[in-house]
Amino acid sequence: MRNKTLAIAALTLLGLAAPASAGAVTLIGSGSVAAQPVLQALFATYTKKVNKKVHFVYTANGGNAGVKDVQNGTSQFAGNARTPLPSDAGTTYIKMFMDGLCLDVNKKNPLGNISIQQTHDIYRGLITNWSQVSNGGLTTTIDPVGRDTNGGTYNFFLQAVLNNEPPASNVNALTADGLVANAVKQDPNAIGYAGLAWQSGLKPLKVNGVPCIPSKISVEPLKYPLSRYLFMVLPGDGSQSPPALLKFIDWMRLSPLAGEVISKAGGVPAFNKKPKKKR
Amino acid sequence: MNEEFPPEYGPRWSDQRVERMLGALVCAIVGLLLAMIVTVLVRAWPSFSHNGLAWFGPGGSVDDQLNAIFLSGQSGAEYIYTFHAWPLIWSTLLITGGAVLIALFSALFVAVFIVEFAPEWMSNILQPVVRFLASVPSVIYGLIGVVVLVPFIGNHLVTEGQKDSVAGVISLTGYSLLAAIVVLTVMIAPLMVSIFSDGLRSVKPGWLEGSLALGVNRWRTTWKIGVRTARPAIVAGTVLATARAIGEAVMLAMISGSVGFAPNPADGLIFIFEPSRPLAPTIVKNIDQLSSPPANATLFAIASVLLFSATLFSLTGWLARRSMRKYGTA
Repeated sequence: MRNKTLAIAALTLLGLAAPASAGAVTLIGSGSVAAQPVLQALFATYTKKVNKKVHFVYTANGGNAGVKDVQNGTSQFAGNARTPLPSDAGTTYIKMFMDGLCLDVNKKNPLGNISIQQTHDIYRGLITNWSQVSNGGLTTTIDPVGRDTNGGTYNFFLQAVLNNEPPASNVNALTADGLVANAVKQDPNAIGYAGLAWQSGLKPLKVNGVPCIPSKISVEPLKYPLSRYLFMVLPGDGSQSPPALLKFIDWMRLSPLAGEVISKAGGVPAFNKKPKKKR
Repeated sequence: MNEEFPPEYGPRWSDQRVERMLGALVCAIVGLLLAMIVTVLVRAWPSFSHNGLAWFGPGGSVDDQLNAIFLSGQSGAEYIYTFHAWPLIWSTLLITGGAVLIALFSALFVAVFIVEFAPEWMSNILQPVVRFLASVPSVIYGLIGVVVLVPFIGNHLVTEGQKDSVAGVISLTGYSLLAAIVVLTVMIAPLMVSIFSDGLRSVKPGWLEGSLALGVNRWRTTWKIGVRTARPAIVAGTVLATARAIGEAVMLAMISGSVGFAPNPADGLIFIFEPSRPLAPTIVKNIDQLSSPPANATLFAIASVLLFSATLFSLTGWLARRSMRKYGTA
């Protein structure tokens, strides 16, 4: 009696497992929250239109955590929003696409432009009132919002805006880009930073006079001051990664279809060939 | 099964088997627990031995210290361990203490109402609702806090004058003691209510009827006989809720604020709007620093303090229950 039950259970399990294992590959990744919306869109399109047998699992636990996952082998790839640091030994960085880090305020804030220096002073606690940023706008206390140290976005902001000085104690450090966007959306006095993909409902400021829009995002030559590459991080020199993953990376970097997906999801394609029709 | 073994041997043999299996399981669990405690303490030791009792004291900014610890050199001689956890401990005490105190009184009255005074149809509805609320994952409470409560406090309760008075030091944006205490209270109160009402329900009916028969009114009977008899259950529920509150990490990381700041009651009313960060969320927020050995030791030191306080709570709870057992049930 019991043996029969066991046998049926085992058969059922086998039955469930069989269709999934027939030549399919599951690629496991983790890391950047900033790259997540674009990566998820790319994954979905790739599985649907290019290779139905390749599936992706991506955990957005922050770029720095993602690199650690690659180093200790728990992830096959990681997304990251900052350039390599000395602590990333044993990994290879591949440029995926570009992103702009927008400086955002609430829609009720009349401010339109901000300089890198002013942003630096706000996040270092030197400027604490909107009246010190511009005349005729808000006269209330600034609520600066940022990311906690888990995020690659935090490191990028630290390098690009704060000259590697730590943010002041009045900066509210949140655990995810979505929470930063949410905080700015709900607080008329807030300022925050988030990637292009998170801009709905926010008011991105011009930085040094350049608007935070996809056509101005460029790293070489630098147009919008807070343009950056988002990177794919692979273990070793990248050659040991599964062929399915390398194929996906080529597709993502070069194909016109991937380029369309990237711009739709809020990124800026860096190397993708333009679709032929538009020329 | 019974056909394979003679009936007189069958049950005995399976009894022995069950006894051994359960015994092995219990041993494994106890062993695992001991191994965990030892691991945490061993890993935490460098942090405690470098700071001594000053670990628990105030001094400097915790966040700067954590940053310095993380960035300190790559070899043993250059490691920095200096860490004064007082703002984190104070925040834990304030938030947990506040929430447990409010939850204790409100849960007691709710439990008394459900068990003694509510009409049957109402307690039939309330009972499952409370049990459901007690099992809602804390992230959901955190989400509601972030989307509803935090912006409400930041935009409607905090005044511009108050914000300006602390500008440059901390931001009063709604991520505050108040938000943390309110949401934590909502989170632990249902747990208390369900344990309290179980306790109240198991009071011997004869005792209550005796009191009523002597002409004592219902409220006084409930308060003097019911609640007093159920005290062991009340202590048990409070201890369980406190343990859950003190270890709560994810929800508090979302709404208590992110600075290692010690809110000062001497500042007046503004103090409940001040942000702070308790011990458990500090581990969550600094989890990516585990690769640096001194940061690793510091985070494990925080973990061991949490572990120690949890042990202390269950011990005091057990002692209190023992001394109250003479009153009867539970």
